[in-house]
Amino acid sequence: MESKLELPVLRRSSKGHGQGWLLRLPGILYLTLMIVVPLLVIIQDGLREGIAELIHQITLPIARHAILLTLWTSALMTIINAVMGLMTAFVLVRFEFPGKRVLNAIVDLPLAIPTLVTGVMLVMLYGPQETLGNFLANQIGFEVIFAPPGIVISLLFISFPFVVRNIQPVLQELDRTQELAASTLGAGSWKTFWKIVFPALILPLTSGSLMSFSRAIGEFGAVVIVAGNIPLKTQTAAVYTLGAVESENRLGASAVSLLLTSIAFLILITANAIQKYRGRKNAAD
Amino acid sequence: MSILLENISKHYGQQVVVNNVSLEVKDGEFFVLLGASGSGKTTVLNIIAGLIPPEKGRVSLHGRDVTYLPTQQRNVGFVFQNYALFQYMTVAENIAFGLEVRKVPKAQRQRKSDELLELVGLVGMGNRMPHQLSGGQQQRVALARALALSPDVLLLDEPLGALDAKIRVELRRSLKNIQRKSGVATILVTHDQEEAFDLGDRIGVMNFGRLIEVGTPKALYQYPKTEYVASFLGSANLLLGHIKDQEVFIGKQSFPMPDETYNLGSNTRAQILFRPEDVALAKRVEDLGCLPLGKGKIIETGFNGAAERLRVDMPAIQGVRAISPPVPYGHPGLMMDVNRAPEQSTNLPFNKGDDTWVGIRRLHILSHPGLSFLLLADGSLRSQSAISIGGYMARMSHAQVMLLGVGEDRTRLDTFLQEAKKELGSGMASLEVQTSSAPVTSAISEAAEKQHFDLTIMGWRPTAGVQQLEQVLRSIDHHLFLATQPSTRLNRALVCLASGEPGKDTVTFAGRLLRHIGAEATLLTAISASQNDEFSRYRVDRFLDDGLNSLARFGVPAKKKIQEGNLLEAIEEERQLADYDLIVLGAPLPDPHAQTSLSGVIGTILMHQENVSFLIVQSHQYQRMQNQLRRIL
Repeated sequence: MESKLELPVLRRSSKGHGQGWLLRLPGILYLTLMIVVPLLVIIQDGLREGIAELIHQITLPIARHAILLTLWTSALMTIINAVMGLMTAFVLVRFEFPGKRVLNAIVDLPLAIPTLVTGVMLVMLYGPQETLGNFLANQIGFEVIFAPPGIVISLLFISFPFVVRNIQPVLQELDRTQELAASTLGAGSWKTFWKIVFPALILPLTSGSLMSFSRAIGEFGAVVIVAGNIPLKTQTAAVYTLGAVESENRLGASAVSLLLTSIAFLILITANAIQKYRGRKNAAD
Repeated sequence: MSILLENISKHYGQQVVVNNVSLEVKDGEFFVLLGASGSGKTTVLNIIAGLIPPEKGRVSLHGRDVTYLPTQQRNVGFVFQNYALFQYMTVAENIAFGLEVRKVPKAQRQRKSDELLELVGLVGMGNRMPHQLSGGQQQRVALARALALSPDVLLLDEPLGALDAKIRVELRRSLKNIQRKSGVATILVTHDQEEAFDLGDRIGVMNFGRLIEVGTPKALYQYPKTEYVASFLGSANLLLGHIKDQEVFIGKQSFPMPDETYNLGSNTRAQILFRPEDVALAKRVEDLGCLPLGKGKIIETGFNGAAERLRVDMPAIQGVRAISPPVPYGHPGLMMDVNRAPEQSTNLPFNKGDDTWVGIRRLHILSHPGLSFLLLADGSLRSQSAISIGGYMARMSHAQVMLLGVGEDRTRLDTFLQEAKKELGSGMASLEVQTSSAPVTSAISEAAEKQHFDLTIMGWRPTAGVQQLEQVLRSIDHHLFLATQPSTRLNRALVCLASGEPGKDTVTFAGRLLRHIGAEATLLTAISASQNDEFSRYRVDRFLDDGLNSLARFGVPAKKKIQEGNLLEAIEEERQLADYDLIVLGAPLPDPHAQTSLSGVIGTILMHQENVSFLIVQSHQYQRMQNQLRRIL
């Protein structure tokens, strides 16, 4: 006689119709109302005049410049964030130093600070009247505020936690004896890192980077303060969309919005697929 | 010599993980480090590989001092307990990793990994990923990887620990074969006795960071030197008996001294070991075929496939104490473990409850009996000093400890003992607790009557005076340690010997204790100005040299010092020159006819030296000298 442990799964067949739906319905309804409907509205609105018009709207010189600026600053930020985030995570996990716990707690702060405040902070630091900003602009010729570097810096600030927090737990649980084994086989620390540690971090690094990219392309608050709103120079896609809405260019606004949403959505799916693959691999091990 | 360790020590915080370990492993030898978990054996392995730096000592591999070399330059093969295979490489890449690091061409790497896969019996599995292999296969890959660089030494950290019993036995055989073929000096760490006996050319037994004994499996089993090894390996019948005039006494029954004789003294207590298979049973005493010990009753029977196991209960024997197997509390007699071959049990079957004669075919005397401490706790601040310093010494020396709580207020005593036990913590060889509401002196003498101790440890302050100490010394025939401060620091001892004094016992016991603690010693003696001629100086010098020699035998680093004047002045002068934590003094053993008195030099020293602990060694020699004197007079 075989006995099996039954897990109490809420299934339609298990307990009549009414009870399951009582919980399910509000949940589904909420998700639909809050996320699916607005998305559908954007899609419908962006495609209102047909695909050709949508393409026309996003290839207008100002719109196109804003979109390209958004994409390249976000991409540059992602690369910097990947490298530096990996390093930061490594330092936070592997080394002991005074103030480590405080620094570790600060990593999450950018997610909690209003992005407008972030912009204000950066202007106070890099503004042309401030010491550091003045030095950078006049001595080195590197303008930060009202220029693309300001955009990259503010994007770096707001997406700082993504890479670090993705890598940290993986690094923490990594079996250190593999590294010891590598050292008994003559491998130095650099070789050991690339051959033994890094392969384990590729997936969390990629998914963390993708998440920071998709977070960056929609950023408004910090960017609008740091970069200003100069068309064809520092106007990003999100800022352009606000301008379009304010000047009642509804079609332009929804076209650019639809594009941003689609990119973000694609990236999110990729990042999720990577996470899932990681989960399966861990289960297999 | 492939591997040479000299005086390796390592602490983690307050805890000693490796305590003064020295070891030699010969070329091609398979050496096994055996010990319970937490005994420090893996740390020793990590120190050899350079994964952990030692605090003290030297590591040499093939005559090359590698103590300060990084792991990468030591050329050791290491197999980790969890195998530590590189998860993102194939089996072949794992094996060839070390060769890749050394930039060996690819074709050659391929050839080597094929060769090693064949050696470990995994032909054709080079392209698999580690997680696709079973535990036993992963273990073989780890071994192949460790051998790929033709290492100078092979270090195996519980390599078979995580496997099923059956695979373990099978892999054991192939491990031994592979080691023989490769001819590389190997150290394997394990807690499994059977594995150690099966694999080791020699075995080193570790406990609490100390390498207790080293020897061939047979020597360790039949002729152990220490109580720990005797009772750790297999099962043992271990009794505390007596040696007198080259005969071994268990109660009144005497046995001839076994062939391996040591200089244990002619009239002394001795730990007597006989293995279960050395015990003979018979219905009649004439049928034993060996010397009888007495009559007993079978209380347990069992069978393990190769032998019949019996346990015999015997009545108590006057003056004999059982150490192993342990006797249940309140049980008056002795227990004896017996193994018999199947044909013996067929010829003479025994059932539970049967009476039998018990004889001993072969016995062995332990040459390094363990230390046994009586730790006194009365809840005072001073006794806290005794507990912290006594616990430290016991952990370091693997001594058996009896914690004796003395006091009238039962609840207060209990809380205090609870705290004391917590402070003593783990890492004790054995810890027994007893309480008494009698006055301190009678409590100590009661405990000492029932059981043999080497050392009583109690807290003491000069303000308490020496009167109680005199009483305590009168009631015990062993040594006394006075703890004066809560610090457990015991780095340097000042061993004070009055000139001409028969201080051999003092030096010997100090050596026995200091050896475990890892302290160094200064032998100090004072010559009065009137005696300070060349001849006296020469004699005293010779006397101190003898002391240095005997300390050297214990491995205690020591120097000598001769001062002019009286001993108290000499001590004070010497204490200004160096930072001593302990003063060792000799005292005569109590004599039923004479009163121990501390009113002389010793009492003065005790009262006038602060911030230092004392060890008072009571000597038989005084007694003998006094008896001689009495006869002459």
